[in-house]
Amino acid sequence: MGQVVPEKAKVSPFLVFFLVHSMQLGIGVLGFQRIIALTAGYDAWISVIIAGLSIHIILWMMYKILESVDGDIMDAHTFVFGRVVGKLITLPFIVYFSIVAITLIRTYIEVIQVWMFQDMSVFWYSLAFCGLAIYIIFGGFRTVTGVAFFGVILPLYLIFTFFFAIPYADLRNLLPIFDHSIKSLLLASYQMSLTYLGYEILLFIYPYIKDPQKSKKWAHLGVLYSTVLYTALTIITFAYFSEGQLQKNVWATLTMWKVVQMPFVERFEYIGIANWNIIILPNFCIALWCASRITKKVLHIQQKYGVIILSIVILIGINFFKTREQINTLIDYTGKVSFVINYGYIPALFFLMLIVKKVKKK
Amino acid sequence: MGWFTKKHEQLDEKKSLEEYLQRSHDFKQVSYINQHTNKKFSFSFITTLIDESILQENALPFLLEKSFETIEDIKKIIPIADLQISSDPSEMEQKLFNGYVLLTLETDQKNFAFIAAQKEVVRSITQPEVEFSVIGPKEAFIESLEQNLNLIRKRLPVKELIIEEYTVGTLSKTKVAILHMEGITDPVNVQNVTDRIKNVKFDAITDSSYIVQLISDNKNSPFPQLLDTERPDRVTAILAEGKIAIFVDGSPQALITPTTLVEFFSSFEDYFLNWILSSFFRLIRLFAVAFSILITPIYVATLSYHYELIPKDLMNTLVTSRREIPLPPILEALFLELTIELLREAGARLPTKVGQTIGIVGGIVIGTASVEAGLTSNVLLIIVALAALASFTTPVYKMGNAIRLLRFPFLFFAELWGLLGIVFCFCLLMTHLLRLTSLNRPFLEPIYPPRLTDMKDSLIRLPFRKQTMRPQTLRTLQPLRFTLTKKKKRGDIDE
Repeated sequence: MGQVVPEKAKVSPFLVFFLVHSMQLGIGVLGFQRIIALTAGYDAWISVIIAGLSIHIILWMMYKILESVDGDIMDAHTFVFGRVVGKLITLPFIVYFSIVAITLIRTYIEVIQVWMFQDMSVFWYSLAFCGLAIYIIFGGFRTVTGVAFFGVILPLYLIFTFFFAIPYADLRNLLPIFDHSIKSLLLASYQMSLTYLGYEILLFIYPYIKDPQKSKKWAHLGVLYSTVLYTALTIITFAYFSEGQLQKNVWATLTMWKVVQMPFVERFEYIGIANWNIIILPNFCIALWCASRITKKVLHIQQKYGVIILSIVILIGINFFKTREQINTLIDYTGKVSFVINYGYIPALFFLMLIVKKVKKK
Repeated sequence: MGWFTKKHEQLDEKKSLEEYLQRSHDFKQVSYINQHTNKKFSFSFITTLIDESILQENALPFLLEKSFETIEDIKKIIPIADLQISSDPSEMEQKLFNGYVLLTLETDQKNFAFIAAQKEVVRSITQPEVEFSVIGPKEAFIESLEQNLNLIRKRLPVKELIIEEYTVGTLSKTKVAILHMEGITDPVNVQNVTDRIKNVKFDAITDSSYIVQLISDNKNSPFPQLLDTERPDRVTAILAEGKIAIFVDGSPQALITPTTLVEFFSSFEDYFLNWILSSFFRLIRLFAVAFSILITPIYVATLSYHYELIPKDLMNTLVTSRREIPLPPILEALFLELTIELLREAGARLPTKVGQTIGIVGGIVIGTASVEAGLTSNVLLIIVALAALASFTTPVYKMGNAIRLLRFPFLFFAELWGLLGIVFCFCLLMTHLLRLTSLNRPFLEPIYPPRLTDMKDSLIRLPFRKQTMRPQTLRTLQPLRFTLTKKKKRGDIDE
């Protein structure tokens, strides 16, 4: 089927925790609170938990699919649909990951433009960012994982900065609980999908994991950690802002940093946003890595050329999103596509797999 | 006929070599006659390389007074252990230049003897100057390979210590010794080092730092990927850990490989101190490095872009000090940083006594004058001076040099994109370090890939009792250093 991944390119199973979690934590977390609160009011934190827990089912399905072919999703496609159709079905994933990459970098630049530098050049910054990503990906999957690792470890201290909001928080904001319909709760869970997006990379990195059986618990832990983090953040945000106030803040997470005060630092959001670079970087790299990995396997373009070609595509593509509305549309659609892939396509593939396996056995 | 031409060729080769050597002033040929048998014999040697007293005292009297017939007999009458008999003229050149004396008999032109009479010009062992420690051993390596190996052998008197020797450099013929512990060190590593040493292509290797640059994994990195040390105790410790040491003849610095980034920030004195103190000092050093790289860029970034970041009271101080300065922060910072670099460079190039004066003149006079002239703010002067001071805490000189360089790209990015630029440059640095390897082992280990057991001796150092395992990254054959005897269960107070 594919080339065998050399042992020295593989990563330890526990690093899957960092890969999955760092891919999930991205730009969505900067402002998801307002959107879900719009739908489910201050009960939306329940939606966060529901959405988070539902991922574990999808994750379980993914592992089942991957285990049965002992390869990535491209092998699964070949197994289910045959060579040609399988390849055709894999191709759109290149577009998907490129769009994810564009969404990430464009939204981050948007945040920078709004909060730090109004006249930040989109082109130059994304060029530098792409250059850095190429440098990382040329180092192989281990370097990508290393960036993911540091992307989780180094910004950990940011968690403590949210404690500054606690003195001003009022948990009674959350009361009364359960005064929204199940339907609106589920709708809010659906809206969370952009924030939670990212764990689907597992479908592509699976062959690069040493002893993939052992990585299961780490993948689940990674998702669980994201869920806990998001839930805590949601509750703090809801306790800090009143419902009307929250609707006026597009990036509630960033606004909360305004309250941070230290003897030597006043406006903490500058440090926070700059630090977010370390969080966005692994997201972008993993997306680009996945996309280039598919080009290698499906189109037989060497991965080093694939990365460069895709970076150029991203650099061109980024120019199409100029206004705030366009970026919002982009985010919306990325979230929707990711929802369809994770909650629609993967279960479908899972059941198809079951059927094909039964048929092939006979 | 065949053997005759061959013999003829050999004689020719010898003759032409001798003629060649005659052109050098220090080549000598002397003939003597034995008192008993009237046999004529002659010495050829290079005077600058041999110790003539060995010849005068241990060889010549016996050759003149005791009788001998063939070249084989000489072995019995001369009390020198290293005496070789050969009939191959191609060896002659190498032997002569290694400090041997060529002995030929007039009757037997075909065979000849080499008598070892090397002149050892060796300075005595002195205190370590680059890696000085207040407590602990005060020996440092010198330029003689023999003497350096002696220092190691004395500290590791076991047969497992293997010393392999190779000659590299087409002109310099430098001797390079590779040391490892058999049964501990990973043979793959040893093979790797041996291959790299053998494949060194260069004409004159005059120091171990040439070897560093020639065998590093990434030759385009400012970071040294082999640790160099002048301390025999450090080499002993790393050999016991399962690493490999490389010695180069003529270099007072031994090389250690594979190594990791954190090793460059551990001074060997850390091991002489209690673990709490040494952990504290290591953390201080780490903080110092971060401070020294980042503080000036942060100053530039905040004052150029993010002055809102600074609280009002602190801002007052900064504004007051910068009120009269005509330059933007980046030029101000570059001016001071370059001044410091100039002082450092001048201090390193000048003789010690003059260097000190320059340091004082530069530090005090230029610093104060530039503040008074209104070229720089005194806050920045303090910051830059502190950063320079902090950069000197790096225990390994070569790493210190790399760190000196690092702040300039950071300054550039800070001016470009403020804090964001600093973080971006940090990401670049992080990626570079992630990609670096030392002897194909990850350079950032044990931070990434994270290995808890190796953390015990990295950013902090736990007590020796806890250091039961050799570093995982080395893949040693004996991962266990020693077995810990279980302590008895602790009794209650006063029991």
